[in-house]
Amino acid sequence: MNKNGYFGDFGGFFVPEILVSALKELDREYRSLSTDMEFADELSHLLETYAGRPTPLFSAKNLSKECGGAKIYLKREDLLHTGSHKINNALGQALLAKRIGKTRIIAETGAGQHGVATATACALLGLRCEIFMGEVDVERQKSNCYRMNLLGAKLNVVKGGSRTLKDAINEAMRDYAATSDDTHYLIGSVVGPHPYPTMVRDFQSVIGREARSQILSLEGRLPDALVACVGGGSNSIGLFHPFVADASVRMFGVEAGGKGINSGMHSASVVKGTDGVLHGAMTLVLQDEDGQINETHSVAAGLDYPAVGPEHAFFSRSKRVEYRAISDDEAVSAFHHLSESEGIVPALESAHAISFASKLANDMSREQSIIVCLSGRGDKDVNQIAAMEGKL
Amino acid sequence: MSRLAETFAELERRGSCAYIPYICAGDPDLNFTAELVRTLDKNGADIFEIGLPFSDPIADGPVIQAAMKRSLAAGFRTEKVFELISDMRKSSVSKPFVVMSYFNPIFKYGVKRFCEDLSSSGGDALLVVDLPPEESQYLRNHCRNTGLDIIRLVTPTTEESRLDYLLSDASGYVYAVSVAGTTGQRDNVHNNVPSLIQKTRGKTSLPIAIGFGISRPEHVRSAVSMGSSGVIEGSQLISMYSANLDDRAHALRNIAEHAESMKSSTGTK
Repeated sequence: MNKNGYFGDFGGFFVPEILVSALKELDREYRSLSTDMEFADELSHLLETYAGRPTPLFSAKNLSKECGGAKIYLKREDLLHTGSHKINNALGQALLAKRIGKTRIIAETGAGQHGVATATACALLGLRCEIFMGEVDVERQKSNCYRMNLLGAKLNVVKGGSRTLKDAINEAMRDYAATSDDTHYLIGSVVGPHPYPTMVRDFQSVIGREARSQILSLEGRLPDALVACVGGGSNSIGLFHPFVADASVRMFGVEAGGKGINSGMHSASVVKGTDGVLHGAMTLVLQDEDGQINETHSVAAGLDYPAVGPEHAFFSRSKRVEYRAISDDEAVSAFHHLSESEGIVPALESAHAISFASKLANDMSREQSIIVCLSGRGDKDVNQIAAMEGKL
Repeated sequence: MSRLAETFAELERRGSCAYIPYICAGDPDLNFTAELVRTLDKNGADIFEIGLPFSDPIADGPVIQAAMKRSLAAGFRTEKVFELISDMRKSSVSKPFVVMSYFNPIFKYGVKRFCEDLSSSGGDALLVVDLPPEESQYLRNHCRNTGLDIIRLVTPTTEESRLDYLLSDASGYVYAVSVAGTTGQRDNVHNNVPSLIQKTRGKTSLPIAIGFGISRPEHVRSAVSMGSSGVIEGSQLISMYSANLDDRAHALRNIAEHAESMKSSTGTK
């Protein structure tokens, strides 16, 4: 990252003037806290004693055997408190917000996992919390809505636009414009204006740091490939970042191919997007030729977003990370497959990564290894899938 | 001297302040937008802010969001804004046109091409809501090359130490956002406006126009008494016609009357 939060040509600070002073303050405070040992210790302590870090690196032998190639390891972020990697960032930013004197937290959520993680962190740290969630997502993730209320957060249902994650972010930004004096906007992914893409990446990089040392002690060598799903791209950046300098490690970001990447019904922003500005950053965006943002689709609410974190756009352009799309059907099939073969029900988002990794493993040798980020557990998706399959 | 500078100089001579309606291009269709411009031109508008619709307007409240959505649903395309301005010039509307837009449609159209087309269609200035000076270098050069003014927003959260930098490339006028938040009607002109004007006045000799929450003649009188050189009204005008789209002539008559009362409140400076 260089000046003003650019990763190559991507990133930056495309925000209305009303937000500039709050974001500059956040940038200053974050930079000063990132070298503050006391803050780092406090966060590590919470991650260990409250969130459940480190998470295991599990050798998925049954799945590997079926795929008939490389060994597949699962980085078990699904075992964290609240059920996904989102808690890593939520605790980090909530602690930061408290340190800089904010008393109210707002956040957007798609699948509800970031909303639940944020509500949880706020309950723990005594901060007021409001979550913005699109009406479509509320419908498909009802149990997470109840959990947010249970944790003391207020849920604001967003009825504008496509009524999904993109519009939840729009509405949270509008709230932030009016409330930034006492409110911190706790963005849940590596998207948004500087400093969010950097800050969220730093809070999520614990995934890759742990995985790197775990695989070295299990295998005695680096993995051959990393695989993670990409919506905004926080679990993937978190896994990838500590391996970026390891040229032998291939990295794959798996996007939501929805009903097919030529159907117009997908969320594959890197695979199909073009340069554009959304939510404060220059990045890859699904848009029409006039720069109007397209509506997107994915069976996984957490991937249903028409842009991607700017660092992913950079990694795509520099070819450090390869991006692929997995369809709804393939993801649902992996959702079943991992449940049956390993007794692990993955989040639909993570199921995209499982699906691609299964194909990839098949093309690799038995001596090679793959780490897949199992970013969340699938409990939240059980009702949706059961209903889709007419079993509810 | 730019058309905006001439307009403010003339208003200053007459002891008046600028009435600046904001119009969302293509809501509900371009014919209506053209009629609305002509109506306001005859009934008190001094400058026009033409909003270019965007699918994700994060700085706008529900009324302008809905207007942009209607315009896009009716098939608005970026180049239509140039056709609109050019048509208005042909039908002898001579007042300044400021295009207000989010950055992505401009970026996608091509910054250079956008500035050239805006300038050659008869437009005067550009206000890009989500493009702070930090990201404006490219746009700034093309605005200069094509003679377009850059309108900057100052807000209640803008620190005084930033004003010199923020206003370093500003021309035409300064848009002072009266209240932290999004566009939309409010009961009163916020009481932090005098201090906002004062701190801005210390840093620039450009005219300062107040926007966000202006919807009634008494708001105009308050803004003028607080030292404003202009008032910008958007959401109220949209509300006046959006509820009345089946009788456009009636909506335009109401708007004409309203605009006249707004303009007649600007003259007490």
